[in-house]
Amino acid sequence: MRKKGYSRHKSGLNIRRSLGMIGAFVLLLAVGAPKALAQKSPKDTFDFPPLNPIQMPTIERLELANGLKVFLVEDHDFPTVDMRAIVRIGSVYDPPQKIGLAGITGTVLRTGGTDSRTGDEIDRELESLAATIETYIGQNSGGFMASMLKEDVDRVLSILTDVLVNPAFREDKIELAKIQQRSGISRRNDEVSGIARREFWKLIYGPTSPYARHGEYATIDAITREDIIRFYERGFYPNNTLMTVWGDFVTDEMVEKLKNSLGTWPEGTPDIPAQPRVDYEYKYTVNLVDKPDVNQSNISLGHIGGLMDNPDYPALSVMNNILSWERMFKKIRTDEGLAYSVWGTYGASFSYPGVFSCAAQTKSESTVYAIELMLEEVRLITQEEVSDDELARAKDRYLNTYVFNFDSKPKIVNRLMTYAYNDYPLDFMETIKTGVEKVTKADVLRVADKYLRPDKVQILVVGNKEDFDKPLSSIGEVNIIDITIPQAKSKLQ
Amino acid sequence: MRKKNARTIRACAVCVLALVLAVSSLAQTFDAIKSQVKVHVLKNGMKFIALERHEAPVVSFHMYADVGSANESYGITGISHLLEHMAFKGTKIIGTIDYEAEAKVLEELDALYDRIKTEQARVSPDEETLVRMKDKFESLRLKAKEYVVNGEFDDMFMREGDQSLNAFTSADATQYVNSLPSNKLEFWMAMTADRFQNPVFREFFKERDVVIEERRLALETRPIGRLVEDFLSVAFKAHPYKHSVVGHMSDLESITRRDVEDYFRKFYGPSNLTVAIVGDVSAPEVFEMAELYFGDIPSEPRPEALRTREPEQWGERRVQVMAQSQPILIMGYHRPDVRHPDSFALDALANILGQGRSSRLHESLVKNKKVCIQCGVFNGFPGDKYPNLVAFIAVPSQGHTSEECLELIDEEIAKIRAESVTAEELTKYQRSSIKVLLSQMKSNGSMARLLTYADVVLGGWQRLFDQVEEIQAVSIEDIKRVANTHLVKKHRTIGEIIPEGK
Repeated sequence: MRKKGYSRHKSGLNIRRSLGMIGAFVLLLAVGAPKALAQKSPKDTFDFPPLNPIQMPTIERLELANGLKVFLVEDHDFPTVDMRAIVRIGSVYDPPQKIGLAGITGTVLRTGGTDSRTGDEIDRELESLAATIETYIGQNSGGFMASMLKEDVDRVLSILTDVLVNPAFREDKIELAKIQQRSGISRRNDEVSGIARREFWKLIYGPTSPYARHGEYATIDAITREDIIRFYERGFYPNNTLMTVWGDFVTDEMVEKLKNSLGTWPEGTPDIPAQPRVDYEYKYTVNLVDKPDVNQSNISLGHIGGLMDNPDYPALSVMNNILSWERMFKKIRTDEGLAYSVWGTYGASFSYPGVFSCAAQTKSESTVYAIELMLEEVRLITQEEVSDDELARAKDRYLNTYVFNFDSKPKIVNRLMTYAYNDYPLDFMETIKTGVEKVTKADVLRVADKYLRPDKVQILVVGNKEDFDKPLSSIGEVNIIDITIPQAKSKLQ
Repeated sequence: MRKKNARTIRACAVCVLALVLAVSSLAQTFDAIKSQVKVHVLKNGMKFIALERHEAPVVSFHMYADVGSANESYGITGISHLLEHMAFKGTKIIGTIDYEAEAKVLEELDALYDRIKTEQARVSPDEETLVRMKDKFESLRLKAKEYVVNGEFDDMFMREGDQSLNAFTSADATQYVNSLPSNKLEFWMAMTADRFQNPVFREFFKERDVVIEERRLALETRPIGRLVEDFLSVAFKAHPYKHSVVGHMSDLESITRRDVEDYFRKFYGPSNLTVAIVGDVSAPEVFEMAELYFGDIPSEPRPEALRTREPEQWGERRVQVMAQSQPILIMGYHRPDVRHPDSFALDALANILGQGRSSRLHESLVKNKKVCIQCGVFNGFPGDKYPNLVAFIAVPSQGHTSEECLELIDEEIAKIRAESVTAEELTKYQRSSIKVLLSQMKSNGSMARLLTYADVVLGGWQRLFDQVEEIQAVSIEDIKRVANTHLVKKHRTIGEIIPEGK
């Protein structure tokens, strides 16, 4: 957000067009039928009346002269306006000795106030309007969100612009953010689910991978205000940002308001290299975090996953649906009563490999048994075709819930922004749908066999080993993971 | 610390103006929605609320059964939630290949289970007999399983595109939700009518195990879960809000299928059920189908109102949970139920103390003194149909203690008891709670939930909209008064997690 004047109206440069793209969208229509007069049994045939057509909103896309790309959609049902933005930045760019920098920068951008008002003043002003502005930096992106009543748009936009353009990063709020981070570190072993998620991710991506590592007292203590300012300057530019606006406004008027506010955000030169690579070596490992104070084991197992732009992604989606619901849930939960929550999913992300993970939480006394059952289900789906019914149900579930992708304007417009951010085609979801329609049993078997490696999974148990049904060593050499939190060197507390 | 004089008064004038502006556009929105709500009550007392919304061809269903863990007694704690799980197991025609044959085996299984329990209860059970009976039990269970079509009930809803198939049990209520493409209204009617007229609680014992795992997951392996369970058991001495929704382990291990059937008959009569349907449907058609599918269900007397009331507390109570965890503080003061006239002022109090970054507790504990990383105040803990708690929670910062947080919370409460809040704060509460209400009305599912809640708990669906005026009617004096009436140390309970070494 910086310096540099910006020229207000370069209408020639403003790209503005309607997205008619989803016009081609057709829903499955059934044949019309006379109204029922008699009560039907749920197993009777229902001649569903035709589904009313989806009304695609008009979405305006434009790019301000400073490079800020905006998607706008009018939604007049409620007298509110909302905004959301994605900035290309992320904690994957944290220097290894300052892990936590991105998160603190994202927080203090908002809490640290601006040159002309403190963060506390902003808090009070916004809350007096029942408005919010939040900023954040996550793993692969950062951004901001704002929500307001429609009559407050001018005031909120002016505060938002001030926050983005003139952040002050005051020391007291940096210290507060560090306290929050340190407290988070001190609490990171309090919940079993938190331990499991963190340690499993480290097993898959590697403990120092930008996709799995986490801050320590030492890395938080090493962060300075200069680091924060520099990190913010790496990415927070309008020409590095995508934004959606939806709510009760007239588009032309809103565009003017945006030009006069966020349009003054000076463009800059982002310093954001390509996302870090993931190198994965398939291996079978058995890992334990011993928690003598619990009576239930948290089990995770899996290996690296893939990308969503993989042409096999539609078939993998169908396979996930069958593996999680038809297999894991029906076997581990319904038949065996072993767990409340259980799943198996080959995870795919937009821009870096996801994780294939299966998970369940079961009483200590059925730990190894549950692991064996889960692995058996993974093996089975890589060896035998699924049944016709399983395939038909999985496809129906996907295709008949498809309409819910269009049940709200914010959902539609924010999905487009996400696709645009990740350089995916804006009709990506339709492509997946077309793909899902074509998936066969042979496809499911082929992708399961190709992408799942039941013999090369990494298994993590967080639980009380004294009470396991069998020693964990019965399924492999056990690597004990020490989760002791490294203490800060000098900090008094 | 808070000056109240000329500055505040000026701020106040500005704020009131702002509020009026905001509320004029908001009031229109609320009125527009309210005028679209339609209601139809069947002869048997089952109530349907419909709201047409034609923006997208989808519809959400919310069925509110006016029964929750507060209706449970000793021996069957957790049964409301277990019943909720069993309501996904199908009917006489869903989930089975041959109900008649299956039913016989299920009865044998129940009878054998009773005999095992009787044997186990003897002073010296015969181990050999027990082993034999348990073997027989397992083989009968497997025999019953042969008739089961695993997951058929869920499969039928999901195949038709149910996007939100789920249910929730709380201290006050059991709520079932569905969302379907809107041309499948009649399918929902047929499924739901069958589901609650002809339920079959099959695969009971394994589902009970699932619920037991849920208890371990949500409560026993989580320090905060243990704290909340123990805290409530101390804060309430008589009222069933004292036991957790998921129930005691020993009860879960003992509840029978017949217990669930009895409980179902008692609490799932049509007059105890309220349905809201919001989406791209026609209200007259909804009501016509409701008559067709639910009109024949015989009336049942409404269950007797809960007898037990929480008696007055005689002194501050404390509870500690030792755990491998950093400290957490919970504190709760007894307050009346949500329909009590003080309710909105208590909401305002909780909001001004604990909601948002400029709230008093956040400013004092988090921003200024930095003793905690998170704190909040909320009403309706653990439910709000009956007298409940206004609860405070604080998560101390690294190196700080629950006791430090408590002292500062007490300071802030004392200030409000002495001086009340500012006009600015009151306006902030009013605007934010109206905006929150509005945002909850945006989605069909959430709107359906609000309508049933308002109708059953607040005493009429209209009260959902009337709240806007009640929120605006709260005064500075009200807040001071309710702080003095209800935030009384003698009537509070303090719970904390005490860190325990490894």
